[in-house]
Amino acid sequence: MSGVTSGITGGPLIDFDRVSQIYAARDGSPVWALSDVSLRVEAGEFVCLIGPSGCGKSTLIHLLAGFLKPTSGAVRFRGRPLDGPGPDRGVVFQEYALFAWMTARQNVEFGLRMQRVSAPVRRRRALEALDRVGLRHAADRYPHELSGGMRQRVAVARALVVEPEVVLMDEPFAAVDAMTRNTLQEDLLRLWRETGVSVLFVTHNIDEAVFLAQRVVVMGVGPGVIREDLAVDLPYPRDRGSAEFGREYARIAAALARGSRGAEQSDGERRAA
Amino acid sequence: MTATTDDAAGTGLSTPRRPAADARSDSAAFAEEFRRAHRRGLRRAAWLRALLNVAGILLFLAVWEAVPRLGTWVNPVLLPPPSAVFDSFVPMLLSGEIAANILASLRRAALGFAIATATGVTAGLLTARIGLLHHVSEPILHGFRSVPSIALVPLSVLWFGIGEGSKVALVAWGSFFPIWITTFIGVRDVPAAYLRSAACLGAGRLATLLLVVLPAALPMILAGLRQGIAVSLILLVAAELSGAREGVAYMMSTGHQMFRVDIMLIGLVLLGTFGFIADRLFVALIRRLFPWYTTAS
Ligand SMILES: Nc1ncnc2c1ncn2[C@@H]1O[C@H](COP(=O)(O)OP(=O)(O)OP(=O)(O)O)[C@@H](O)[C@H]1O
Ligand SMILES: [Mg+2]
Repeated sequence: MSGVTSGITGGPLIDFDRVSQIYAARDGSPVWALSDVSLRVEAGEFVCLIGPSGCGKSTLIHLLAGFLKPTSGAVRFRGRPLDGPGPDRGVVFQEYALFAWMTARQNVEFGLRMQRVSAPVRRRRALEALDRVGLRHAADRYPHELSGGMRQRVAVARALVVEPEVVLMDEPFAAVDAMTRNTLQEDLLRLWRETGVSVLFVTHNIDEAVFLAQRVVVMGVGPGVIREDLAVDLPYPRDRGSAEFGREYARIAAALARGSRGAEQSDGERRAA
Repeated sequence: MTATTDDAAGTGLSTPRRPAADARSDSAAFAEEFRRAHRRGLRRAAWLRALLNVAGILLFLAVWEAVPRLGTWVNPVLLPPPSAVFDSFVPMLLSGEIAANILASLRRAALGFAIATATGVTAGLLTARIGLLHHVSEPILHGFRSVPSIALVPLSVLWFGIGEGSKVALVAWGSFFPIWITTFIGVRDVPAAYLRSAACLGAGRLATLLLVVLPAALPMILAGLRQGIAVSLILLVAAELSGAREGVAYMMSTGHQMFRVDIMLIGLVLLGTFGFIADRLFVALIRRLFPWYTTAS
């Protein structure tokens, strides 16, 4: 909430400036994943991206992570154009990207090892990070010995331990059951408030977006555009049973529905613009 | 696996997450009993398996022993029964002839295989990671790979003589290709999520190669090494048959010249045992070195 106003002091942390991304389809024809997308995120903000499948959410994340270079436009981080991936932007993937040959602790230590942190310090910080996600007791297990929810906790710990300025999360909790998902969401909120890190979180789930985000960015296919940018002005922790929660849910659901209905018209709009 | 059960025995750290604190000592006793029963089950299964393995060998020997005695349609000179083979085996063992031949063969196979491992893994890594190198080497490597290695035996003898050089070179040549090709595939197919995670955590090229790419490709590399062991044995035999002064296959070829089928059979059994033990040792070594490998995915 405070992050939204801090733009006065400096530029935004993340700045997508009229970004278009075009992929080559197998037959060489262009596939528009994003067209002319502009989005700013302030330091410390928690922003959810929501939208139908294929609207370019993952593409947006990959651009910011530095896996892709935009076809046109610019992606700036702290005012500078991006040059590849880096430890200032942590990523938590949907699929389990934990290194299978390392224990939970070794996975969390990896980023610190790359910073040449000494072994004892590394170990202590990794155990602390695992403690914060409630997994200190599983530090010496390999990923295949952990449940899906536990693996995602380790992935979150691994991304946060190097103290990035933003964590990019692409449907990180999509593959776990509803109950585990709720706990993971609460943990994530706690970590976010403790660390002050910015979060850019992709989801398909309106409930998840309303529970987590300060801002919900609704995207649409038409192709790959931002339809609406809605502030969710509810205090944390949020109560799923409350009337306000229901109202916000309905607001975002309506925006999503408008977005997909507007998909056919949008081509015309774009040409007119 | 052991980490999980050790933890269930109740270190103080994990207990707050368990439902009831008063059930702690109960559950520790239960865990201990469970672990013991589990080990008993495993041990029994292992014994049964060993017993069946031995029974299989005995059955095979019994059939072999019986066949030459069943009728006149089998010439015992061409197929001597195991008892006769064993009778010729004992003096050869006692004279040290067997050991010397095994040692000679083992040395050649091991040296050739070691060279193939070093060059094959390196070539696989480089060709998979560096596009330029891949495209330049592709036609030559694949062309050579298509030539059956045994076809190189005469050439190798001309180039390296009938000494150790030609045999080691042949073994190295033959086992290089499966090792190279599987390493290449393993490295090429490292999941993008691993590489991306490494990059996001600040890993440079070398760290990514050593700490991420190599271990991620390891299952494939190991499959290639295992195949390489089998191929080394084939080339070892081909090389020794083409002219040698010692070695298991050399022993077989002298048996051939003296029309001693029993000696040839001893060689066969030795080669079979060789390959089998090498393969088992390899698997055991992998289990020990890479605990995550056997159970992962
Ligand atoms: N590597 C690629 N090559 C070609 N087209 C691609 C590639 N990656 C994505 N696309 C296309 O770009 C569009 C946007 O894809 P993206 O993965 O960003 O969508 P998404 O919003 O993340 O979808 P989902 O919710 O299903 O994950 C889609 O039409 C997709 O088919
Ligand atoms: Mg996606």
